[in-house]
Amino acid sequence: MTAIPAPIRSQKKFESSLPFWQRLTTNRNWIASWFMLPAAAFLILFLAYPLGLGVWMSFTNVRIGREGVFIGLENYEWLRDDSIFWLSVFNTLLYTLVASAIKFALGLYLALLLNRHMPFKAMIRAAVLIPFIVPTVLSAIAFWWIYDSQFSIISWSLRQMGLITQNINFLGDSNWARASVIIANIWRGVPFVAITLLAGLQTVSPSLYEAATLDGATNWQRFRFITYPLLTPIIAVVMTFSVLFTFTDFQLIWALTRGGPVNATHLMATLSYQRGILSGRLGEGAAIATAMIPFLVAAIMISWFGMQRRKWQQGENND
Amino acid sequence: MSKFIQDRRSLLKGGAATIAAAAATSADQLFNFAQAWAQTTQWKPEAGAKISLLRWKRFVEAEDQAFMAMIAAFTKATGVAVEVTNESYEDVQPKASVVANTGQGLDMVWGLYSLPHLLPTKCLDVTDVATYLGGKYGGWAPSADAYGKAGNKWIGIPVAATGGLVNYRISAMEKAGFKEFPKDTAGFLELCKALNKNGTPAGMALGHASGDANTWLHWALWTHGGNLVDENDKVVINSPETAKALEYVKALYDTFIPGTASWNDSSNNKAFVAGQLYCTVNGISVYVTASREAKAIAEDMNHAYMPIGPVGKPTELHLPFTMLTFNFTKFPQACKALTAFMLEADQFNPWVTGAQGYLSHFLGAYDNNPIWTSDPKRTPYRDVAKRTLTPAGKGKLGENAAAAIADFLVVDMFANYCTGREDVKGAIAFAERQAKRLYR
Amino acid sequence: MTDHAVHPPAVATVAKSDESDGMSYLETLPSRIVTLYIPLFIIVVILLFPFYWMALTSIKPDEQLIDMDSFNPFWVVKPTFKHISKLLFETSYPRWLWNTMYVAAAATFLSITASVLAAYAIVRLRFKGAQAVGALIFMAYLVPPSILFIPLASVIHAYGLFDSPMSLILVYPTLLIPFSTWLLMGYFKTIPFELEECALIDGASRWQILTKIILPLAVPGLISAFIFSFTLCWNEFIYALTFLSSTQNKTVPVAIVNEFVDGDIYKWGSLMAGALVGSLPLVILYAFFVEHYVSAMTGAVKE
Repeated sequence: MTAIPAPIRSQKKFESSLPFWQRLTTNRNWIASWFMLPAAAFLILFLAYPLGLGVWMSFTNVRIGREGVFIGLENYEWLRDDSIFWLSVFNTLLYTLVASAIKFALGLYLALLLNRHMPFKAMIRAAVLIPFIVPTVLSAIAFWWIYDSQFSIISWSLRQMGLITQNINFLGDSNWARASVIIANIWRGVPFVAITLLAGLQTVSPSLYEAATLDGATNWQRFRFITYPLLTPIIAVVMTFSVLFTFTDFQLIWALTRGGPVNATHLMATLSYQRGILSGRLGEGAAIATAMIPFLVAAIMISWFGMQRRKWQQGENND
Repeated sequence: MSKFIQDRRSLLKGGAATIAAAAATSADQLFNFAQAWAQTTQWKPEAGAKISLLRWKRFVEAEDQAFMAMIAAFTKATGVAVEVTNESYEDVQPKASVVANTGQGLDMVWGLYSLPHLLPTKCLDVTDVATYLGGKYGGWAPSADAYGKAGNKWIGIPVAATGGLVNYRISAMEKAGFKEFPKDTAGFLELCKALNKNGTPAGMALGHASGDANTWLHWALWTHGGNLVDENDKVVINSPETAKALEYVKALYDTFIPGTASWNDSSNNKAFVAGQLYCTVNGISVYVTASREAKAIAEDMNHAYMPIGPVGKPTELHLPFTMLTFNFTKFPQACKALTAFMLEADQFNPWVTGAQGYLSHFLGAYDNNPIWTSDPKRTPYRDVAKRTLTPAGKGKLGENAAAAIADFLVVDMFANYCTGREDVKGAIAFAERQAKRLYR
Repeated sequence: MTDHAVHPPAVATVAKSDESDGMSYLETLPSRIVTLYIPLFIIVVILLFPFYWMALTSIKPDEQLIDMDSFNPFWVVKPTFKHISKLLFETSYPRWLWNTMYVAAAATFLSITASVLAAYAIVRLRFKGAQAVGALIFMAYLVPPSILFIPLASVIHAYGLFDSPMSLILVYPTLLIPFSTWLLMGYFKTIPFELEECALIDGASRWQILTKIILPLAVPGLISAFIFSFTLCWNEFIYALTFLSSTQNKTVPVAIVNEFVDGDIYKWGSLMAGALVGSLPLVILYAFFVEHYVSAMTGAVKE
């Protein structure tokens, strides 16, 4: 509606050039902005705007149900000296690095396996995706039970085999708890990595392998000099997604440990929820969440440069 | 409204047969009462009022049925439509917080602990309701004042509390050499040691269990004379008494079944009913479940008050359920009417009966409900509202205290020491620093 | 496994023929067993075990659940369908399933529409700043729901969408658009430019090109974007928990947890039955489409 007066004005302005409406429909930049509009609208209204609000909250002492006042960096200063916060940073980094690395290794291995010929290929591929399909919160509850301190199926099996005499304290001991949540995360994440990498593998022409084999390349050499380089771009993307999802993970930890035992598995996301929502200090919660952003930017940068190197999927200089 | 039909259906199919039957026969009675009540009540609901109420998800099915029957009678008598939504008790607070922040979506919330004190500026003043009920039903228990009032104003009505008391197996206790459950902390420790030696261990949650861990660890702190804050909300956690409490809990922890540091609220229920755990602190839900699923265990178990320590008086913490009304509701009178109606004897008594001991009253007159004496094992839970302190301890129950309990400050202090992550000094210093930030 | 224990010479051939990986027709069976079937079997078993565990729990009578001494926990005697029938007939499960499908389908449709347009613009229109816009969309993933949902709740309320499926339908695209856009960008690039140039010369508009030429060719890409988006919507928890409140409006994951956790008692059988039945529609979807998914991804990642 508001656009109606616009053509008149601009027609006067650019009388020599094409009529405005025509420019709107033919000029590449204008068309592009029309095409970008829906995506941009969603992301601005429901992402950028609340994000801005969240960052602003981190500079205030807002509590639930009460307006806050601007307090500058006070929340951040408090967090700087807060050992639980630093513990959660450590946990988050550990969780992300270990889980992502293993997800990558296992996912790549699984993709290589799935890429080979075998009977029931489609069925096996579908089966592998199942962990990705089951709603996270429900699989987390199943895991919680698998890890139970009294009724763990793993402890039970090991006891039956005579390997242990006492139940393993899966979620009650700091290190066991960290390992347990990481394993649950890997379980959930591997299928996505594997299937996406599998797709990447299928782009590699078999003739390359045949040629290499004729030249006497070993298995490892073929992987190292053919598969890996051709796969780099997709690895960069899939690992970026994987790292981002892992870093901001919330559901799994929340259902399994609530950040316990004694904060040993608190991630920044869960700590921010506990402080911001449960204990009502929105400002501090928002500050913890905002503190995640630099790490995420770093993760994106790393993979972005990985992609740049391959001239990977930029708008202009690729095809 | 379609919600209603569904609930009616689940009501008909309800499992606890006797109580459902009792509720069904009294449905007409309840309605007659509701109608008479609606004529005389001082709160006249606004015309066309519609209330949406969020409550914690039932612990006992029959309680939920009695609650919905009460809502149905209220709606029929007053014409006020009430939409009830349930949320797991741990999700009530986040949900209420969001609504408080945005100012629409719900009219009333029935939540845990000190929820009204997390959002005092958003609560409707319900002093008139509290005065009316207190005057009619034998006065409020002292803890009700603390839970319901901010200053001189009532911002919430403590409807009921659920107790966190000792659940124990009688045979295991006797085998450990005790004829009756120890009444002091020293005896309690001896019992736990003996239970451990007999291979019938005790166990209490040290994880982030909002109900179980908070209740028994606050008891342990207070009963040794430790306090997070004093009367003036000054942080005084760093005291020799706190250190004693830490040592005591550590000694208990060493006798526990392994894994309690990871326990949430449901862990001890499961282990107790499975016959692996012989003593714990919990609500009456273990007993209710056992009566249904493991009769032998139900017969062999009993409940006891928390033992008394060096301070020489009961220092228990229980879980209150407080009803708040948002001050942005369009129908304040209807909300007040519903709150008052909820606690009227003719409907409160059957409701509490349905809860099978899960809900204990804050109003003196309800001591006479036969539910508390028909089965002596339930009797200790009758008094929880009278015995409970508030999460603030000596201090003022307000948003700071609410934040401290939601942040598991005391729980983490004990867990830090018991699991060996920190020494006594470290664990206390840690909690002190956090507390000072909250109470600044 | 017994296979190569019985035939030790086979192991020797394994080492030799190991190098022919990638040309499976050169492989011997024992080699395939060691390098392919055994590892694959182990991985698949581990990946499926928790799922098996859910299935088992959902048909296990309660007393067998916590009695590990008299009943082997890996198996079930006298299975019961009590939990599943309770789920299907005594709760609003069909309704929740419908809600979830409706929300997931609508959000997916919106996101894919937006993504198609955005991806096409970035890849083919090559407008000024296309690169930057691509990067920005990617950046959207920086923002975790845990930081967003309080401010987002204000936005939802401001538009009067609280407790309405619309709130999720409008919010989920923020989770879906970045990945879908990336995937479609890759896919569109595999479509020859010449097709488009011919059409342009024939006087087709950009819109016509997109709908008549590009989209039909990009169907596999659309399918895989669809599957990915649909799955994410199906599983989302935090937003669904926050923005919906009445039982009738809930989505499957939220409703199941809410319905079958009674205070401090978990109803394991029904919880797991819910997880299982709640995943079945997706499992079926994947069984049909997994090959498309893989091949579409293949298209997307081809340079």
